[in-house]
Amino acid sequence: MWLLKIENLTVKYGVIPAVRNVSLEVQEGQIVALLGANGAGKTTILKTIMGVTRPAEGNIYYQGTNINFFSPPQRVRLGITLVPEGRGIFNRLSVEENLFLGAYHRSDREGIEKDLSRVYSLFPRLQERKEQVAGTLSGGEQQMLALGRGLMSRPILMLLDEPSLGLAPLLVRELYAFITNIRQEGVTILLVEQNATMALKVCDYAYLLETGKVKVQGKADEVQSQEDVKKAYLGG
Amino acid sequence: MRKVKNPELWFLVGGLILLGGVFLADHLLNRYLVHILILMGIYSITTVSLNLTNGYTGLFSLGHAAFMAIGAYTSTLLAFPLHLREAYELPLLPAFLGGPEHSWPFFLALLAGGALASLSALLIGLPVLRLRGHYLSVASLGFMVIITTFAKTLRGITRGSMGINAIPSYTNIYWTYLWLFISVYVIWRLVNSRFGRAMLAIREDETAAQALGIYPMKYKLLSFVVGAFFAGVAGGLYAHFTKAIRPLEFSFFLTFQIVTMLVVGGMGTTSGPIVGAISLIALRYVLKPVEEGLQIYGLIELIYATLLIVIMLWRPEGIMGKRYSKIG
Amino acid sequence: MFSLGYFLQQTMNGVILGCIYALLALGMTMVYGILRLINFAHGALITLGAFFTYFVLVRFGFPLVAAIFLVLGFGGLMGLVLDIVAYRKLRGGPEVALLITSLGFYTFIENFMKMVVSPQPYAFKAPSYLTTIFKTSFLTFRTIDIFVIGASVVIMWCFHLFIKKTKMGIAMRATAENLEVASIMGIEINRVISVAFVLGSALAAFTGFMWGAKYGQISYDMGFLTGVKAFVAVVIGGVGSIPGAMVGGFVLGLAEILSTAFLPTSFSEYRDGMVFAILILVLLIKPSGIMGVKEEVRV
Repeated sequence: MWLLKIENLTVKYGVIPAVRNVSLEVQEGQIVALLGANGAGKTTILKTIMGVTRPAEGNIYYQGTNINFFSPPQRVRLGITLVPEGRGIFNRLSVEENLFLGAYHRSDREGIEKDLSRVYSLFPRLQERKEQVAGTLSGGEQQMLALGRGLMSRPILMLLDEPSLGLAPLLVRELYAFITNIRQEGVTILLVEQNATMALKVCDYAYLLETGKVKVQGKADEVQSQEDVKKAYLGG
Repeated sequence: MRKVKNPELWFLVGGLILLGGVFLADHLLNRYLVHILILMGIYSITTVSLNLTNGYTGLFSLGHAAFMAIGAYTSTLLAFPLHLREAYELPLLPAFLGGPEHSWPFFLALLAGGALASLSALLIGLPVLRLRGHYLSVASLGFMVIITTFAKTLRGITRGSMGINAIPSYTNIYWTYLWLFISVYVIWRLVNSRFGRAMLAIREDETAAQALGIYPMKYKLLSFVVGAFFAGVAGGLYAHFTKAIRPLEFSFFLTFQIVTMLVVGGMGTTSGPIVGAISLIALRYVLKPVEEGLQIYGLIELIYATLLIVIMLWRPEGIMGKRYSKIG
Repeated sequence: MFSLGYFLQQTMNGVILGCIYALLALGMTMVYGILRLINFAHGALITLGAFFTYFVLVRFGFPLVAAIFLVLGFGGLMGLVLDIVAYRKLRGGPEVALLITSLGFYTFIENFMKMVVSPQPYAFKAPSYLTTIFKTSFLTFRTIDIFVIGASVVIMWCFHLFIKKTKMGIAMRATAENLEVASIMGIEINRVISVAFVLGSALAAFTGFMWGAKYGQISYDMGFLTGVKAFVAVVIGGVGSIPGAMVGGFVLGLAEILSTAFLPTSFSEYRDGMVFAILILVLLIKPSGIMGVKEEVRV
């Protein structure tokens, strides 16, 4: 059963269309990858799912409801969480404050405390630095913080925008192990990546975007074996 | 782009019609109405000049009253009749300005007022125009406060807070509308030239303009200085119309009036500032008897403020503006 | 003239003016931090607060505590009204539009006061328990002086707790830093902005009360320059920094008083000009202010 369904989505910045007539589906419990070069429209799609950007045309369905007119906070409360491009952490706030903000829309104190300990056990380095100002963390630590913050909202659907950007290869592998782990806990993931190789290893289904349109889609191994993908994105 | 075939010709024709109109007004209308027309003309000049900096170049300056003050005081001090200087405690001109035996003819005094205003615009513009939107506004407001402070304290020159009275009324309707014509023409030429396009580019997106090789500072300064020139001239005309000037008059309220006229009329349009100025002066004269009769001081400004708010909330492009045109 | 006593006296006056500027700057920076709006109407709230307190405390003789809460409530309410009626409509539009509209609102309120209350200044005769004089060997002060300093300290401390420890306070800091990401966290931006307006306006109205009680005179135009000077304080302290706003307020207050106290008397007329000269200098030399938070001042 699909958790998220996008139908004929068109998003424009002013008069320039960034996303043209895109349709995609994310099944519950899956990891779906959105691939493509810079400017292909991937981030725009995530932002539109989150409600930060308005579609010019098209519909977004989540858990059976059309959420086109829902505000971002409303969508967060429904269980959609976005980990934005470039981490999007609050540099001037502390690590712990950042994490708390992830759970802003929740009111269950005990649940929040439990989740906080869980995040700290997953990322012990964050606990070490919990009073530290987030801007002073290293790139890898900031990514941990961004993911931890995402977890704090107890997401049902997690949107990840280029999480591996700027990370050393070792950390990228840890990152993807982490992503697979969360999926096992029942979180559905929509993953945007320029780094197609890693993404294709992990995901169940992939969409390849080019200048705002879906060029290729299919199961991970199908997409991987396609010639154009190999040439353009996998260097083969 | 250019819809009119030969705009210069239109200006010539328009100028002649204006001259004719002014001539008729002078001979047919009573003094009171002529006075109102002169005031409309003066405010039109200053609003048109503000339009150049705020409307076309997007520099939201709040210190325009300072340039009027500089123009007013300069032209007054230069043109003040020789035989009255001592009686009114005004200094005699130093040697390099013509010496104690002279006072300047009106036209030259106006030019000098405008020139000095331009010079001060250049001086204050160099540091301040680099600043972003709000900072520019507050800094220019500060500049105005500084100028009025000097007007109050340099008593030897400006007679301090008391101001200067018995200024000869050299301003008549011909001078006023001549200068209005000049200012509209000059600014129109400027806006429709290479400079104008650069200014618009800067207004829309300064970073992009820089990427295109437009060096913003040069254009910002140019529009600021030209705007200041005409504001200075307007100040001089104003001084020789109201016959008395005090530092208090060149306060924020004056800038506010001009800003309101500009916004209501339509920023960044050719006729907007004039329409705004005429409407608001007309409104003032309609309301004046009410304000004074019922002794509810502040009514006129209140209405001005209400107009500004209403326009900003519901028709930000002003009366003459096109919809969806960006402000500032 | 330049005795220790004179110096202490003027320093105290500087501190008091600094407290007023600090509270005003706090209110301004909250709104500016989130909306990038210099709220000129902030100054109008000073005037409103002063006149409101005049009527409540001086004319109708309410007890002090009641007057304090009433003026805070009144200020907060006015701020909320401004937010909902005007600023909310202009959100997302060009920055200049907000600035122009706030100027319009300031002028509206100022002239409303002029028309409805009085074009002449009013003498604010604070009740005697606020004006009792204390003379010591170095310093002469009145209860109002202690009140201003005490109240300001209490307010600043409460504010500090609010912004650091409460959920809304953290949300405000987050929104000021990055509005888009804050909304992704589920923070209701409109509510955060309303809180900023309400708190800031309540503070501004309260400073109006303090001003009237301390300086003994209120008029319809008392708020304008003071409001703009509050922004100068924000810039001096560092735009975007809340402790910076408070520091900036004190620096400005002390600079304004001490500079005119120790220069020959003829310089006292330069007081306002001095403040703006300081502003221009700061913007040119160290635009990020004392607490140096990053903010593009130049284009």
